[in-house]
Amino acid sequence: MTATSVSPGRSWRQRFDTRILPVVLVTPAMVLITGLIGWPILRTLWLSFREAGLRSLTTGESDFVGLSNYAEALSDPHLRRVVLVTLVFGLLCVVGTMTLGMAAALLLNRPFPGRVFVTLAVLLPWAMPRVAAATVWKWMFNDRYGFVNWSLSNLGLDFDGYAWFVSPLPAFFAIGVVVVWQSFPFVAISLLAGLQSIPDDVIDAARIDGASAWQRLRHVTMPMLKPVLLVLIVLSTIWDFKVFDQVFVMTGGGPARSTEVLSIATYREAFTQLDFGLGSALAMLMFAILAVVTVIYIRLIKEEEEL
Amino acid sequence: MATITPPTTSAGRPAAGTTTSPGARRRRRKSGRALVGQIATIAGAVALVSFSVFPLLWMFITSVKPDSEILTSAPVLWPSSWQWSRYGEVIDRGFGDALVNSLIVTLTVTLLGIVVAAFAGYAFARTHVPLKRWLLLVVLATQMFPVVVMIIPLFTVMRSLGLLDNLVGLVVSYLSFTTPLAIWILRGFFRGIPVDVEEAAWVDGATRFQAMWRVVMPMAGPGIAAAAIFVFIAAWNEFLFALTFVKDEARQTLPVALQSFVGRASTDYGGIMAFSVLFTLPVVIFFLFLHTRLTDGMVAGAVKG
Repeated sequence: MTATSVSPGRSWRQRFDTRILPVVLVTPAMVLITGLIGWPILRTLWLSFREAGLRSLTTGESDFVGLSNYAEALSDPHLRRVVLVTLVFGLLCVVGTMTLGMAAALLLNRPFPGRVFVTLAVLLPWAMPRVAAATVWKWMFNDRYGFVNWSLSNLGLDFDGYAWFVSPLPAFFAIGVVVVWQSFPFVAISLLAGLQSIPDDVIDAARIDGASAWQRLRHVTMPMLKPVLLVLIVLSTIWDFKVFDQVFVMTGGGPARSTEVLSIATYREAFTQLDFGLGSALAMLMFAILAVVTVIYIRLIKEEEEL
Repeated sequence: MATITPPTTSAGRPAAGTTTSPGARRRRRKSGRALVGQIATIAGAVALVSFSVFPLLWMFITSVKPDSEILTSAPVLWPSSWQWSRYGEVIDRGFGDALVNSLIVTLTVTLLGIVVAAFAGYAFARTHVPLKRWLLLVVLATQMFPVVVMIIPLFTVMRSLGLLDNLVGLVVSYLSFTTPLAIWILRGFFRGIPVDVEEAAWVDGATRFQAMWRVVMPMAGPGIAAAAIFVFIAAWNEFLFALTFVKDEARQTLPVALQSFVGRASTDYGGIMAFSVLFTLPVVIFFLFLHTRLTDGMVAGAVKG
């Protein structure tokens, strides 16, 4: 083969390999993402400015109503309460998840017999399908035959026959337990990896300098974990604000819509009341809250992921 | 660091035999504290394991108890006899059909999603895709979006295409959240493969695509397997799309089928728990199989669903 006979073919091939092939490889994925995520979100935005009910499902027609769906979402006392409840419940779940995750990570970072087994055991709640976890916990929170009431009564508390799901506060507590139970393993394992990446001599140096265990945690370990911690807080926020399955299975939003969070309210307005316009407005509110958090998340991990 | 001997070796300082030196006293106090610390650690570990595992254990125990030992005000902690027959009954009462539906949907989604994501993941890791930075941001951000935001338009489209109560509709909608997830995981794995092996193939006359297909993909095998398992789990667990798009009980996948089984069986907690065990088991097995890879780039990969 001579150089002259090869070069035209090769240069075409090179151009294909460097310019065209990457685009070809990425296109199917981008078409899927655009069609299944990008378009629906724009369409939800469009629908949120429209009066779209049952009629629009059959005829495809809907009327422009401006911001009235948003006005309804923010003025209706129930929906306003839903937004507030979602924020408070989400934040408390994040606090619970982070606290428990951190405690578990610090524990798993200490040497003790059977540590590998404990680490595996901690992963199990994360592995469980959310619907199954909520079903099992609902059984454990059963008023008459549940394990939780029996245990609390044995501890001397008056929980005999206590009904967890007839008023919002205890119901949210029970749902929160399931959410935290399923979320803390991810936080624990990620923080454990973070802890193990801190060089021992840094901690040893602090110990030799006379720092107490608490001071070492507060002034050495925590600052070094800060990047991971921030990412995990943001991720937990995203996950805990869009909780749907656990609430749907445990209370369905009831009794009397008192345990609805934004995702449940959206689903209900859209698919039970068939008010797609209002449902879309609620979905966009949720999207707006999560978009802000997502931007923070992306900023945090940008450098690490070389974006 | 390792060469410095600890300052408290007994050999260096012979105990004078009389009273205990302050150093020794401090040592003893310290070892006492270490013991307390060790006991506290183990107590914490026991508490942690109980909290994590007990609900799963209780699910299993309830599923094999005789009926008379389930609805008791003081829970029977260990069954007097093992009632395995409930598993067969549950399979006949809806689990079997839903399992077939779930397997059809999850396996199709996994296969399609991984092929699409492997190509894109490779391109993002190794080539100069135009607007790469922006596209990657899109991939990352879309993993975070709540399904609720997409569900209303997807529902109306599925309805007009006649894809409601149809597994095809589920497959298509599941690709929306599994593709970005798989791209992100796979991109990480492809970046970990040395460029040299690929360059060697080019030198040998392979085209870029051939090098990718025959050299890089086989080397990324473990990564592809891991991504496939994550996609499988995400699709296996998905509830909201399945709840909205499929009303016909014969087409339900497992999460929704469990929910309707709970509605039908009402107080048959043994059956409900047996159903839950069967639903949970494959995922737990996959998870334990994967556990060593769980933290590899996962904080960024956002693998939870």
